[in-house]
Amino acid sequence: MKYSQRIWVGLLFCAALMIIPDYGSASLRPAPDGASADEIAKRSENNLRSDRTVMTARMTVVSPRITQPREMEFTSWEDREGERSFVRMDAPSKDKGTGFLKLHPNLWMYIPRVERTMRIPPSMMLQSWMGSDFTNDDLVRDSSETEDYNHRLLGIESEVDTHPGREAYLLEYIPHEDAPVVWGRILAWIDVERGVVLRQEFYDEDGEKLRTMQFEEIRQVDGRWLPHVWRMTPENKKGHQTTIEIKNMDFDAEIEDDVFTKRNLRKGTR
Amino acid sequence: MAWRSLGRNPRRTGLTVAATSFSIILVVCMMSLSHGNHEKMIEDGVRMSSGHLAAMAPEHLEERTLEQPLTWNTGISQTLASTPGVSGFTPRLDSFALVSQADSTQGMLIRGTDPAREDGVSEIKKRVVEGRFLSSAGEREIVLGQRGAETLDVAVGDEVLLYGVAYSLESAYELFTVVGLFRFPDSRLERGLGFISLEDAQSFYVYPDKVTEVAILLEDSESVPGVQAELRERFEGLDMKVHAWQEVVPELDQYVTLDKGGMYLILILLIVVVGFGILNTVLMTVMERKREFGVLLALGLRPGQVFRIVYLESLLLAAVGIVIGLAVATPIALYFQAHPIPLEGAMADALLEFNMDPVIIWKLRASNLIGSSGVILAVASLAALYPALKASRGQPIDVVRTA
Repeated sequence: MKYSQRIWVGLLFCAALMIIPDYGSASLRPAPDGASADEIAKRSENNLRSDRTVMTARMTVVSPRITQPREMEFTSWEDREGERSFVRMDAPSKDKGTGFLKLHPNLWMYIPRVERTMRIPPSMMLQSWMGSDFTNDDLVRDSSETEDYNHRLLGIESEVDTHPGREAYLLEYIPHEDAPVVWGRILAWIDVERGVVLRQEFYDEDGEKLRTMQFEEIRQVDGRWLPHVWRMTPENKKGHQTTIEIKNMDFDAEIEDDVFTKRNLRKGTR
Repeated sequence: MAWRSLGRNPRRTGLTVAATSFSIILVVCMMSLSHGNHEKMIEDGVRMSSGHLAAMAPEHLEERTLEQPLTWNTGISQTLASTPGVSGFTPRLDSFALVSQADSTQGMLIRGTDPAREDGVSEIKKRVVEGRFLSSAGEREIVLGQRGAETLDVAVGDEVLLYGVAYSLESAYELFTVVGLFRFPDSRLERGLGFISLEDAQSFYVYPDKVTEVAILLEDSESVPGVQAELRERFEGLDMKVHAWQEVVPELDQYVTLDKGGMYLILILLIVVVGFGILNTVLMTVMERKREFGVLLALGLRPGQVFRIVYLESLLLAAVGIVIGLAVATPIALYFQAHPIPLEGAMADALLEFNMDPVIIWKLRASNLIGSSGVILAVASLAALYPALKASRGQPIDVVRTA
């Protein structure tokens, strides 16, 4: 065989290796109950959200910048179908009454002390929300983890940090090409039995991990398994961590349409 | 003897001299133009960024967040004021904030600065086209770029809301009055930069007595390494780093280096052409004077002596050309150095694209005059070698007969 022919055969061989699927990896392992990745993702989201939800929570930010953790309290109203939500700060006193209103695709913020409403442009969705490690996007969930992403089941793991002994699906979320999302890839560990998310890792488009969210204190509320503590740890800010602790959650709540108005935003305190 | 033979054929001599002087003029003008251009780019670039030298806390250059504070005090100020070569400096607190008015919001770099010192670095007052720059006593004043103000739909006298995250992680918000608008060739800066006073910035970001950088402007961009070393010594023991502009805005440095490379390439081509020109003239001269050299050789002159005559002739030609060239080029370059050429239309737009003011400035350096003269002289002496050798190699009998 001529030298050039040998090179060609070699190249073909390499190409063949690349197309042959990797049967050994966990990627094609089916879920034991036959659930598809999409169904698992959907079930997980439904554990955290209903059509209309009211939530009261406390947020704690720790950082090397400050000696005392910064604590805030807020209430949020969400209308999932209408793609609108409303958040009002309840504490500390400096921020009391500060409100956020999302009427898709717009986000407004109202600051009662200066009596000003400010529109937050889409380019600012990744900015820190109230100095925490959560972003404006997290707050108003402008993107949907079920609708804007393709889901793929990577396998099943049984050691998810604070949940020893619980089996969890490892799901990979890759955004649709035209989806208005901010992450390049999300990994989610979802409890096999309860369908509740235990841990999420967020990556940028270059595959670099940017932050990790851990879900703890999982208890049932209105028949849903709800994590009551959400802990966000950014990768690039050393020593920073934000914890949201859910104090009260009303699934399928009655919310008047008046809540999602600029008039309500400007009302300041309830 | 060399002198006399040059005088014998004024037209031939004149042509060679003209070619040499023309090339000197070309080289000097081109270098002045290019240097002026680069200096202007650097000048504009460093004035609007962090000066020729920037003092920062260690690692601030890489991180650029409030996480690396630099404590500003009168000691630093006095040291800078007493350092030779420093023409201006200002402490700055650069950070990010949302600037909003009605339904328009724009993320901006907010530059808290000492209103009295800022102009000494950025010459911002010259660029304010409407209203005025920050006053030293004024509170809650902001100066925006004209494009930024257009995006926000605000005018001088309007109030804008600044919203950001303070160093303490508290939310920071405050109303500021727009007191002036500036224009700047770099459209991104004109859209995304706002000036407030250092005091306001320190209270807004809860960053008392701290700054993110001290921008230092030097009298001469050539003295950057010297003053940098001096300042490093003077600030020894402080938790502070002094960076040269090349580290702060490396893209500007790369652009200038690339452009310089292009200029030198063209200069080399030009000088090669000049070299061949000289070679050609001297060679023709030698051909025409074959008979003369033959006679000289026949008269008993040694080949070495003939070589020296021809060689000396060419060097003299080059020297005269260089002197004339310098005499013409220097005033031209000096004139344009003093009188920048303003540009209009498409050319101006092109320069604005590159964030430069639409003027062409020349800059003559003594080192360029000496350098280009030296190179041309060297090329001339190289080019004269071959004809001189040829003249001295002829056999007297053959040469006289055939000629």
